[in-house]
Amino acid sequence: MLIVDAIFIGLLEASPLILAAMGFTLIFYLNGFMNIAYAESITFGAYFAILFNVVLGAHFYVALLPSMLLSGAMSVAVYLAIFRPALNRGVGPTEMIILSVGVSFLLRYGLILIVGPENLFLNEPSIVYMQVLGLGATNLQLVALALVFAMAGILYWMVYYTGLGEQMRGLANNRELAMASGINPHVTSMAIWFIAGCAGGMSGVFSGVFAQVTPYMGWNVILITMLVTIVAGVGSVRGAFVAAVVAGILTAFITLVTKPLYADVVLLLAFIGVLTYRGARTA
Amino acid sequence: MDYLIFSLSLMMVYIGLAQLLHLQFGMAGIPNFGVVGFWGIGLYGTGVLYVQFGFPLFLAIIVASAVAAAVGYVLALLVLQRSGQAILAATLAFAAIVATLVVTEKGLTGGVQGLGTIGFPLRELDARNLVYLGLLVVIVGAMIWVSARVRDSRFGRILSAIRDNEELAASLGKDTAATKRMLFAITCGLMGVLGGLTAPLHQFLVPYLLAPSLTFAVWIALVLGGKNHNLGAMIGVFVTFGLFDILVETYAPVPAEQAILLPNLKLFCYGVLLVAIIMFRPTGLLGVDSPRSPKRPASGAGRDVSTRGAE
Repeated sequence: MLIVDAIFIGLLEASPLILAAMGFTLIFYLNGFMNIAYAESITFGAYFAILFNVVLGAHFYVALLPSMLLSGAMSVAVYLAIFRPALNRGVGPTEMIILSVGVSFLLRYGLILIVGPENLFLNEPSIVYMQVLGLGATNLQLVALALVFAMAGILYWMVYYTGLGEQMRGLANNRELAMASGINPHVTSMAIWFIAGCAGGMSGVFSGVFAQVTPYMGWNVILITMLVTIVAGVGSVRGAFVAAVVAGILTAFITLVTKPLYADVVLLLAFIGVLTYRGARTA
Repeated sequence: MDYLIFSLSLMMVYIGLAQLLHLQFGMAGIPNFGVVGFWGIGLYGTGVLYVQFGFPLFLAIIVASAVAAAVGYVLALLVLQRSGQAILAATLAFAAIVATLVVTEKGLTGGVQGLGTIGFPLRELDARNLVYLGLLVVIVGAMIWVSARVRDSRFGRILSAIRDNEELAASLGKDTAATKRMLFAITCGLMGVLGGLTAPLHQFLVPYLLAPSLTFAVWIALVLGGKNHNLGAMIGVFVTFGLFDILVETYAPVPAEQAILLPNLKLFCYGVLLVAIIMFRPTGLLGVDSPRSPKRPASGAGRDVSTRGAE
């Protein structure tokens, strides 16, 4: 019963993390660096939802789509303005991470300067408590879970079964060969950054509606997203999905059996352990 | 005046941390994103030993720093031979563990309520703040001097060989893993020393001090100043902490209602600076300084020729 509870709670709580990890992984896979500024795709997704849902008064589910798309557009804009020129200049992977920290600061504190540091709340759609297999959940949680799995399925299908996914894998593995085969690195990269940004935005909207919208919400989950991505192996979208689900269930399980606060410590230790034994040696 | 001395003392700590990071990342290529964790072990270790166990301050600092060095050694054993990105993630995770444990172990650390009071040393002196600042200047100055010596030494040449091509350095018979572990443990221990020295400055410790922002502030300063230059850390901290935290926040005539926005504006500017530096001047403000060629006594000439080949 404990196990079932843990799996259920873990899945519900991990749903934003699953999306964030998959989006983060796409960029990591394509460009070979950990984009800390991805945190701001998550945060901005939630703030765009505030714009549509609270300021303009749209229904929550109506606000979801434009928020996602705007977050994706912002991701592309950041890529074009900063990351692509940096990659063209041959900045190394560690320096790219530091650069992305700079971009993250710039976007986050720019946002705070414009909208202020206060926590904001989305207008939730009417909440109904439901019983599923004897376990309680709200309709919102279940819709989030369903949407996340749908989105995860779409991403999976895109990476492994479509031309775009094939082009992305080609570019990641051998850029020169891919370009010689007629793949336009430009268009493919923009598409990947757009999709990753959309996934991050959706993740942000859901973590925002479950709790609150703060300028630090993306930053707070980026560490766990990074760890999930690295443990999953470089750029495996499959792996990111599995690792995020496992991390969610593990957190829920530890929270149920020990003091809640230790869940983080045990999870982080487990990550360091995994990094030690099979951490991306070739990244 | 007291506040200025406090800020300058804190600035010395930042310079020291950035200097140690210069050794770890600039020289040996280890991306340590857990700076605040090692510093925090020194800080809270000193606080706990002093407040809960009645250790004298300087003994507490030494014990806490030894713990930081030991933890650094264990972490090095675990992940130092992995890829740079794995090291980065593992050290970041380690710092998060330290921050969480400080909150959970309420019995020792006071949890979110905080831990205090850590007495200021040299209580009988009137100008004790100033003397303490002098002590910090001496310690940090010594770190900078020793870094320059390390850079010019055989050990420093092994480190840069490891940074540039670890397989090649290993194939020349250098024990690269052990060298990196040793450097990492020592520098992490010294980060602990700086943490311990920070404890009497704050006097009252709260978990908020262990937020990752310290790590990023130090990284930004180092990258800005020049990660491969021995004075890069110092210049970087002057430009970031010195300019924004001391000059602007203390002396700029800003009306009170706008003053709360200043820290955000500061971090925004850090972001802009960092992006600009990496895009337009990736080696930092100071660039790269080349090791001074060692003065060689006539009798040492033969030995020098042999090490030349090993570089």
